[in-house]
Amino acid sequence: MTISTTAVRSRSQHIQRRIFEILDGAVVDRASKACEIFIASLVVANVLVIILESVPELHTAYGTYFHIFDLISVIIFSIEYVLRVWSCGQKYAQEAGSSWRGRKEYIFSAFGMVDFLSTVPFYLQLLFPGADLRVLRMFRLLRIFKLSRYNSAMDDMFEAIKSEKDSFSSAMFLLLISCLLFSSLIYIIEGHDQPEVFPSIPAAMHWFILTIISGWGNVDPVTYLGVALVVVTQILAIALAAILTGVVATAYTAQVQRREAVYEMEVREVLADGVVTEEERQKLQQMQAKFGMTDEQVEAIAEQVKAERLARGEP
Amino acid sequence: MVNDLKRALMEILEGSPKYKVSRYVEWLITAVVLINCSAVILDSVPEIHAVHRDFFHELEFWSVMFFTLEYGLRVWSLGAKFGPMAGGSWKGRRQYIFSPFGLIDFFATMPHYLHLFFPTLDLRILRVLRLLRILKLSKYNTALQDLFRAVSSERRAFGSAAFLLLIATVVSASLMHFAEGHEQPEAFGSIPHSIYWSIVTITSGYGNVEPVTKAGEVIALLTGFLGVCMAAIMTGIVASAFSNQMSRKKAAYQSQLRLALADGNISSAERDSLKQLQAKYRLSDAQVQVFIDEADKKNVQ
Repeated sequence: MTISTTAVRSRSQHIQRRIFEILDGAVVDRASKACEIFIASLVVANVLVIILESVPELHTAYGTYFHIFDLISVIIFSIEYVLRVWSCGQKYAQEAGSSWRGRKEYIFSAFGMVDFLSTVPFYLQLLFPGADLRVLRMFRLLRIFKLSRYNSAMDDMFEAIKSEKDSFSSAMFLLLISCLLFSSLIYIIEGHDQPEVFPSIPAAMHWFILTIISGWGNVDPVTYLGVALVVVTQILAIALAAILTGVVATAYTAQVQRREAVYEMEVREVLADGVVTEEERQKLQQMQAKFGMTDEQVEAIAEQVKAERLARGEP
Repeated sequence: MVNDLKRALMEILEGSPKYKVSRYVEWLITAVVLINCSAVILDSVPEIHAVHRDFFHELEFWSVMFFTLEYGLRVWSLGAKFGPMAGGSWKGRRQYIFSPFGLIDFFATMPHYLHLFFPTLDLRILRVLRLLRILKLSKYNTALQDLFRAVSSERRAFGSAAFLLLIATVVSASLMHFAEGHEQPEAFGSIPHSIYWSIVTITSGYGNVEPVTKAGEVIALLTGFLGVCMAAIMTGIVASAFSNQMSRKKAAYQSQLRLALADGNISSAERDSLKQLQAKYRLSDAQVQVFIDEADKKNVQ
C-alpha cells in the first residue's frame, strides 16, 4: 500500500516536472517549442479577432463565430493557467520551500497577473451578465502581453534599460519638475488672457505635455512672456528627446560591450589549453545564440584573442 | 590565357585595388547610372519629353546595351571565382546572379527587352524598374554596407523595438476605441480605424482627431509620449550599433598592428596589409597614429 502510493506520487511528480519544463521553456526541446508556438499563435489570433470584432459590419456578420472562438480560447487559456499554477509547484525542491512557494511566485509575477486578468473576467461575465462589455474587452486585450514571454529580445531591452535606471529616473524627474514649473508659469502668465485654454494648472499641464510630445501645444500665446515660455518649452522638448536617446544608446552600448567581454573571456578560456574540443565549440555557439551576436562579431573577437596570443609568443 | 583574362576581368569588376583600371570602370558605371537617373526624372516633365523625346530614346537604348554588356561580363568573369575543385565555374556565377546586386543588375536592364517583345506592356512599370538602376550605386558605397552591417548586428534589438511598437499601436488603438467609439464613431468606430489614429499619434505626437472625453485625452497624451520614447529607443539602438561597430574595427586594427610590431620592425608586406586594413575600416591617419604611439609606449615599457 505504502509502496504503491509512493509510486503514484513519484509518477505524478514526474508528470508535473515535465509539464513545468514544457511550459516554462527553460529546457529547449520539441514539446516546449511546439507549446510556445501554439500559445503564441493562439494569442495572435485572439488579438486579430478582437480587432476585427470591433468593426460593426463584421460583428453583425460573424458575431457567433467570434464568440465561439473566444469561448474556445478562454478554455485553452484557463487550462494553461491551471497547469502553470500546478506545475510551478515543482520549481523549488522540497528543501528550498514548499510547492506553494513556486506557485505564489508565479501567481504574483507580472506574467501570472497577465495570464489571470486576461482570462478570468470572462467567467465574471457568466456570473454577472449585466457587466459593461467594454471593460471585459479591455481585459481581453491584455492577452497581447502574453506574447512578451516568448520574446527574449524584450528581456534584453528591459535589462539594458534597468542598468541605466538612474539616468532614466533623472530624465523623468527633470520632466516632472519642468512640467510643474512651466504649467504653473503659463497659468499665471496667460490664465487671465486666455481663460478658456488655461483655466487651471491641470489644463496647463495638458498643454505642457502636448508641447513636449509634438512640439506644439495647440495654443498660441498672446503675451510676450507667454511666447518666451513656449519657446523655452519647445527647446526643452528637443533636449529631453536628446537625453532619452542618449541614455538608451549608452544602455545598449554598455550591454553589448558587457556581452562581448563575457564572450571574450570564454574564448580566452577555451583557447588557454591550445585546443578547441567539440564541447567547447558547442558552448561558444550556445553563448553566441543567447547573446544574439553575429558571426562577424564572433570572428572579430576570436581573431583578436588569437592575435594577442601570437603577439605574446604563445601557440 | 582565357582563364587569366577572366580572372583579371573579375577582379577589375569587383573593384580590387590591384588594378588601377578598376577604379575607372567604377567611375564609368557610376556616371552612366547618374545620367540615366537624371534622364528618367527629366523625361517625366511633359515639356522636356515633347522636345527631346528622340534623344532620351537613344540614350535609353545605348544605356541598356552598356548595362547588358556589364551584366554579361560579370556573369562570365565570375566563373573564375571558384576553381574547378571548389565547385566549378557556375558556383560563382549562381552566387552573383541570385545575390541582391545581381538581381538589381538584372531587373534594372532586362525589362527593356520585354518591351521589345511585348510593345503593349504598361510603360509605367518599365520606368519604375529603370529607377532601380540607382541601386547599382550602392555596390560602390561601402558606408552603406557598413550601415547594413551595423543594423544587422543589432537586429534583435530592432526586433524588440518593433514588437513594442506593435503592442503600443494595438493597445492604444483599442483603448481609444473603447473610450471614444461611442462619441466619435466616424474616427474610432472600430479598432482598425483607430489604428490609423494611433500610428499618426505615435509618429507625429499629435493625432489627426482630437479626443473629446477625459479618458481619451489621457490615452492620447500617453500614446504621444510613447512615440517620443520609441523614437529615442530606435535612435539609441542605431547610435549604439555604430559605436560598437567602430570600437570593434579599432580593436581589430590594433590587434593587427600589435602583431606587426611584435618582431620589432614593420616589413613592407605588413605595411601594405595595414594600409589596406586602414582603408577598409576607414580609419583616419590621426587615429592610426594614436594606435602606433600607444603600441610604441607599451614596447618601451
